[in-house]
Amino acid sequence: MGDKSTPLLAVLQLLRKYNLKGTEDILRKEANLGDVEYENLDLPEVELANILTAHHTESDPYSYEFAYDSLKKFVENSLDVYKYELSTLLYPVFVHMYLILILYDHNEHAIKILEKFGPEQDEYYQDDLKRLCAVKNKDQVKGNELAEIYSSNKFQVQLSRDASTQLKRYLHEQKSSPIIINIIKNHIQIDVCDGPGRSHAQVKSTLGGLLGEASRNENRTKVYYGLLKEPDLQILPAQIEDEEEAEETPDKPKKKKAKKDNIFMKKPKSDPNAPPNDRIPLPDLKENDKVEKGKALREAAKRVQLGPECLPSICFYTLLNSGHTAICADICDDSTLLAVGFNNSTIKVWTLTTVRLRGMKSADKLQDIDREAGDVLVRMMEEKDRETCRTLFGHSGPVYKVSFDPFKTMLLSCSEDSTIRLWSLQCWTCIVVYRGHVWPVWDTRWSPHGHYFASGGHDRIARLWATDHHQPLRIFAGHLSDIDCIQFHPNSNYIATGSSDRTVRLWDCLTGTQVRIMTGHRSTPFTLAFSACGRWLASGGGAGEIQIWDLSSGLPSAAIPPASNSPIHALAFSRDGTILASGSLDSTIKLWDFAIISDENINEENGNAAPTQKEDKFLLRSYATKNSPIKSLHFTRRNLLLAVGSYDGSV
Amino acid sequence: MSDSELGYGSSFTVDSVKVIAESVGIGNLVDDAAKELADDVSYRLKIIVQDAMKFMQHSKRQKLSITDIDHALKVQNIEPQYGFIQPDSLPFRFASGGGRELHFIEEKDIDLSEILSAPPPKIPLDVSLRAHWLSVDGVQPTVPENPPPLSKEAQKLESVDPITKLSKPANKDAAGKPVCGKAARLKASESVHVKQLATHELSVEQQLYYKEITEACVGSDEGRRAEALQSLACDPGLHEMLPRMCTFISEGVKVNVVQNNLALLIYLMRMVKAMLDNQSLYLEKYLHELIPSVSTCIVARQLCMRPEVDNHWALRDFAARLMAQICKTFNTSTNNLQTRVTRLFSKALQCPSQTNNESGPSMVPSMKESEKTPLASLYGAVQGLAELGPEVVKVFILSRVRWLGERVEGALSGIGGADRLAAGNLKHQLLKVLAPVVRAHRQPPDLPDDYKREYGYLGPSLQQMVSKLRSSPTGGNAGGAVAVVTCTPPLLPSPSPAPGPSLAPAPAPAPSPSPASVTIQHTSQAHAKTIESVASRNVVITSSAPQSPAPSTPPPQKFVIVSSQQKNQVFTNTQPASSAGHIVMHSSQPTIVRSQNAPVSVVAKPVFARSGSAQQPPPELDDLSHLA
Repeated sequence: MGDKSTPLLAVLQLLRKYNLKGTEDILRKEANLGDVEYENLDLPEVELANILTAHHTESDPYSYEFAYDSLKKFVENSLDVYKYELSTLLYPVFVHMYLILILYDHNEHAIKILEKFGPEQDEYYQDDLKRLCAVKNKDQVKGNELAEIYSSNKFQVQLSRDASTQLKRYLHEQKSSPIIINIIKNHIQIDVCDGPGRSHAQVKSTLGGLLGEASRNENRTKVYYGLLKEPDLQILPAQIEDEEEAEETPDKPKKKKAKKDNIFMKKPKSDPNAPPNDRIPLPDLKENDKVEKGKALREAAKRVQLGPECLPSICFYTLLNSGHTAICADICDDSTLLAVGFNNSTIKVWTLTTVRLRGMKSADKLQDIDREAGDVLVRMMEEKDRETCRTLFGHSGPVYKVSFDPFKTMLLSCSEDSTIRLWSLQCWTCIVVYRGHVWPVWDTRWSPHGHYFASGGHDRIARLWATDHHQPLRIFAGHLSDIDCIQFHPNSNYIATGSSDRTVRLWDCLTGTQVRIMTGHRSTPFTLAFSACGRWLASGGGAGEIQIWDLSSGLPSAAIPPASNSPIHALAFSRDGTILASGSLDSTIKLWDFAIISDENINEENGNAAPTQKEDKFLLRSYATKNSPIKSLHFTRRNLLLAVGSYDGSV
Repeated sequence: MSDSELGYGSSFTVDSVKVIAESVGIGNLVDDAAKELADDVSYRLKIIVQDAMKFMQHSKRQKLSITDIDHALKVQNIEPQYGFIQPDSLPFRFASGGGRELHFIEEKDIDLSEILSAPPPKIPLDVSLRAHWLSVDGVQPTVPENPPPLSKEAQKLESVDPITKLSKPANKDAAGKPVCGKAARLKASESVHVKQLATHELSVEQQLYYKEITEACVGSDEGRRAEALQSLACDPGLHEMLPRMCTFISEGVKVNVVQNNLALLIYLMRMVKAMLDNQSLYLEKYLHELIPSVSTCIVARQLCMRPEVDNHWALRDFAARLMAQICKTFNTSTNNLQTRVTRLFSKALQCPSQTNNESGPSMVPSMKESEKTPLASLYGAVQGLAELGPEVVKVFILSRVRWLGERVEGALSGIGGADRLAAGNLKHQLLKVLAPVVRAHRQPPDLPDDYKREYGYLGPSLQQMVSKLRSSPTGGNAGGAVAVVTCTPPLLPSPSPAPGPSLAPAPAPAPSPSPASVTIQHTSQAHAKTIESVASRNVVITSSAPQSPAPSTPPPQKFVIVSSQQKNQVFTNTQPASSAGHIVMHSSQPTIVRSQNAPVSVVAKPVFARSGSAQQPPPELDDLSHLA
């Protein structure tokens, strides 16, 4: 009696909702519904509406196939101006047809329609379809992650005004078969915008999200993507005009550029796009940090200017005997320490220089030290320690990300055990355990200025933390699936997140709101990197493609198609912002000419430029390693590229 | 379920569910129940695997592991399945029969007491960190830590199908190639597409390397030679120098065969061995140079100054193994390498009756050509064939054993120490090679008379060998060798220098006449291993650097590469050559050498170089020249 009772139950639920007791009782009696079914009235709102509106078509599963065919024909026969925009409707309509058929127990028809029209859907939807096709009856719809995302959210489709008129006309003609009308009404959000229809390439560039394109209205907010003005340091007054960092590692915040650095000289001293320095309260610099910064500044003065004619040297650190156990790696900003997270819950820290890793003296010895002494920081360290590698124990699951703080005193790690841990690099112990995430935490990053950090994980929520609070300061909710990667903007005012819903979003740390949603990725982004100037965001995907986003507009500005199918897990911008390095699981490091990418976009700024897709133009070099998938990339302050990979002997 | 469904997810079949139910003791599962179960289980498994994939991706792996599944279960609040730890992937076995097909995992019974008594397993090595330069100023250095600039597959592709190289534009992926000279200039002006000439141009470093390596390989310093051979065997990125190396070897063999310089020939063969062992090199393009050189070292009539004392047998054995290695590595259905090498050797063993037809009009009618095939060449040919496997031995040697026996008999009874020694060696070799084959081939009983009838002169000794082999079933190669030593002496004339003792298995020092045991030092264990596994015989393997090559081998000489001028001279076999000291005919074919004071040496194929003879038989082209 299952399929019969579904609509009846829906009606009952509706009656109850409007408190129409009398009718309800009569209906129950008439339909012979027992109390058991009656108690189970918990159909979700959308489903309910769907059942009620689509009720009279339910009896005819054959009409679905016909309806889809007719929609397809309509799209194919429409003018080229509208065709590509309209074709974006096909996938959501198709998916919801499948779900509705399943919901009404027309399982065979659902599978038939899937097999008939599934293969012709766009390639990047195939993974979703494969996941969706696991759902084969209506009980499974309820518990399935993907099916729930589809049925409880509206799929976003962008149409120009003309195209939407065309669509309306078509739907009007189809009055007799309201299947498509219902689907579009209930499950698809059509975002009508003025202006001419977009070309094929333009449409393609933003497609690919789990729920379609980002609507333009969502990206209207101004983003202060400029860099913070550098506070004056006593050491090198007046020369400081710019701060730079970025990369995938949480960088030492206040790196300054040498005076002669002409790329950045072009920028006016007060960047109109820069947020006010006090927009986000930043911690004051400690004496010791200032010394560090002075060092960084002097190092940066010796930086090599990179370009297509002057490629960086790459120093590759191979983790031997690690097999598949090493998961993540990070190199601290001054390139002296390397941390690696393992799947056996440990973290190892190596020194990359001759400076040994010293621990702090024991408490009673510390008491003897004169706190006022100038070298108190040196004195409090144990002198006998001569270790080149230290292991940190504490997690109870694989460590998915380690991250050095900008001042090299602390280390963050996140793990499958759903905690984030803060480790001291002086006493080599865990200081704080941050709980809050309920499921595995995939990524965590320091703010470039220290003090703050962000995390994101399987619970689809990104959190902003400060080291002195055990609760998150901000919670960023909105992603529809796992947050796979997270990155702080160089000016610490924004956080970028990449998710399995194939969107990249930018969140404002001050207000906690989402200021950009960027679609166009064809696979899950696994790594994010901000350019040195703060305007561009690069993301590397699970299928090997790289997308460059322009934060000022939220549009993709370049898409580098995948060279192989291996996911990209490491991206790094050179310190002068001219080269983008990518490291992939297929054991290659590729260097891309970022100067060309950004120049092109600035030139085309006025038109709504279609992103360029010429891989050859951007690729400078590709270096293969010996079976060592790349875990991490890092540019030193002098623009030497450091890469970490673990040798995989089994291949 | 139908095939089309595979595209969008398959599910358990009702049958599988029933099999699984049976395995847990539920005998009569109804079809409907099984169907329900199958659907539900498929769905749940898919969800778990989909979740597990996330864990795999975040572990930066591309292979799903069991821990991923555990974590996925944990995320869904399901108790993980403990105890399923497997470092590698589990291979499914497949079985079919009675119309049923079954995939299963092989589970072996484990004997606990065995595990308890076994020594504890080794502690896995700790993770360690190693740094190297992946690129220096944009150029990838060719160090062992980096992958070879041109992968073996690419080299193979290039040699099989050279067109691919032209069709591919100068690819930026070739990061490791040190850009030098013309190549760099070409790269700078990419507007004109010129055929790359880079392979013929060596950088200064490469030239230096080439000089150092070649000098060390043929020089007198054993330590340096070891290092040089090690470098040849291990370094990636040598492929650009390969043409030169191969020319060096082939020219070197040509010259030194003429001069009978055994030591240098051995050094050159060791270079070949090192290059064959190099994992990053693909030598097929150079076989036309290597194979003639190697086969020369196997079957040349004379390889040393004093055949009666010097142990040129070891060189022949070594070269024969090299040839077998080459055949094994490079034989394809198109080049028929092994067939041709086999033919090469077997022609040397041709009976007089068979050769008569082929010997050509220039032959002196009264002289049967192969009658004159020197015993040393016969030995080489036998050895070369023996390395190619028992089947080859059975077809090509066993059928000619009668004739070979006659030759041996003739030589043993004749005069001349060198011949007797050679005959003794040949006989020993023949017996050793043939005995296992005969054993496998014949049914007992082994009657001496049958053997005599069937195999001629060698019959009785062969019979002894075979019965000895049969009586010691465990006896492998070594047993065979010992058997030879014990059974041969009575058959040898006592006064002559007996070859038997000198062939005693290592490490017995060769007594009496020959201190000429050639010391082949193996630079790596791998070499020693391969050699030993092929045959543990009269090659003395030492791991310490010997003071010098054995006293009787000529002191290593400075090796001179034949310049092109000389080469011309050597090659012109049509000019009246009576005045020339020696003629080398070389048409990428085993070298045929005639030196002034040595009789004509026939190598593998009865072709002659005769001084003063105007009508040379042209070198037959039924050989490997097409590989050029």
